[in-house]
Amino acid sequence: MKACGDCKIGWQSNDAPRCRFPRCLHGWRVRNADHGAFLLAVCLGLRGGGSQCGALLACGFGFAGARVCGSSQAVLTQFLQSASSLWVAVLSGLVVNLRMAVYSAAMAPRVRHLSTPRRMLAAAFLVDNAFAFMQQRRQDKPQESNDHLLAYYAGLTCVLWPAWIVFCMIGSLAGSVIPASWQLDFAIPLAFIATLSTTVRTMPLFAAAVAGGVASVVLFSLPLKLGLIAACLLGLLAGLITERLMLLRKASV
Amino acid sequence: MNPLSVWDGWMVVLALGLGTFLIRYSFIGLFANRDMPPWLAHGLKLIVPAIFAAIVASGVAITAGQFGGWALWPRYAAALVALALAVRFKGNILITVVTGMAALHVFVALQNVLR
Repeated sequence: MKACGDCKIGWQSNDAPRCRFPRCLHGWRVRNADHGAFLLAVCLGLRGGGSQCGALLACGFGFAGARVCGSSQAVLTQFLQSASSLWVAVLSGLVVNLRMAVYSAAMAPRVRHLSTPRRMLAAAFLVDNAFAFMQQRRQDKPQESNDHLLAYYAGLTCVLWPAWIVFCMIGSLAGSVIPASWQLDFAIPLAFIATLSTTVRTMPLFAAAVAGGVASVVLFSLPLKLGLIAACLLGLLAGLITERLMLLRKASV
Repeated sequence: MNPLSVWDGWMVVLALGLGTFLIRYSFIGLFANRDMPPWLAHGLKLIVPAIFAAIVASGVAITAGQFGGWALWPRYAAALVALALAVRFKGNILITVVTGMAALHVFVALQNVLR
């Protein structure tokens, strides 16, 4: 028996190198990311909730509870109010969320050993922020075991989700208390800038990021909100091309 | 078009919630009992920064549903400051968010002075 080096309060037995501590609590203690996560949820919730009004107020709670759109909630609710039909609204929302298939694919090898209900649970909470935090965690501690990473994910969700719901409610009910001039929505890209700075390590990744960023603004007005997913694919293409070019150059030298 | 009724809104929430869950579960379910092909894992690595950059760029440059243009320069400048600090502090989210917000308001104040 020795103390778990990560959370400092759990313990590990010698034969099983996994922290014998409830996962959510273990994850809660791990690193200081929970402060950042909480702050982010506050900003997101206040803005996301604040942009709803009238008939959509109640639905804001629904959005929060169903963990529908994470960082794109504010954009989406705004869009829903001006959508030409319900079908367009639903379809656009799904297109915006298509990027989460990538998170799902990245998560897949890590949850293979779990039972199906647990896999579904893991999938249900896989939002942008949780994925970004996990991505960063993996950069910080490449040696970390899969169990520890899942524990971190569980702990993260225990912070993110309740805070998200509570602050969405506060934002919806008292949206006008926070003046728009505070520009709280700016906290969302800021948090992703932090993650981006650790994710981009090689030239192809850099090319993918630049292409994705530029394309997302240029293609923003595509119908059905196709711009975001198109930007992601263009980024992927730019990354692949850069990779190929680097290979060619290496071959010619 | 008329504003959405409460009932319509809940239908949208339900449809989106279910659809989004299916999107999230798609690959997790698909590769539960088989290995992921290497090309897919490789493409995944490349598309992740593209997604993050797309979220960042549209979050910075697009406000109230449209491209802000030059008037949003405080946001661009603050994003650059935040990026520099993020690189310096190895992606510390707390530092990046707090200093980025502070920088934004400094630049906005500057913009108001210059106007």
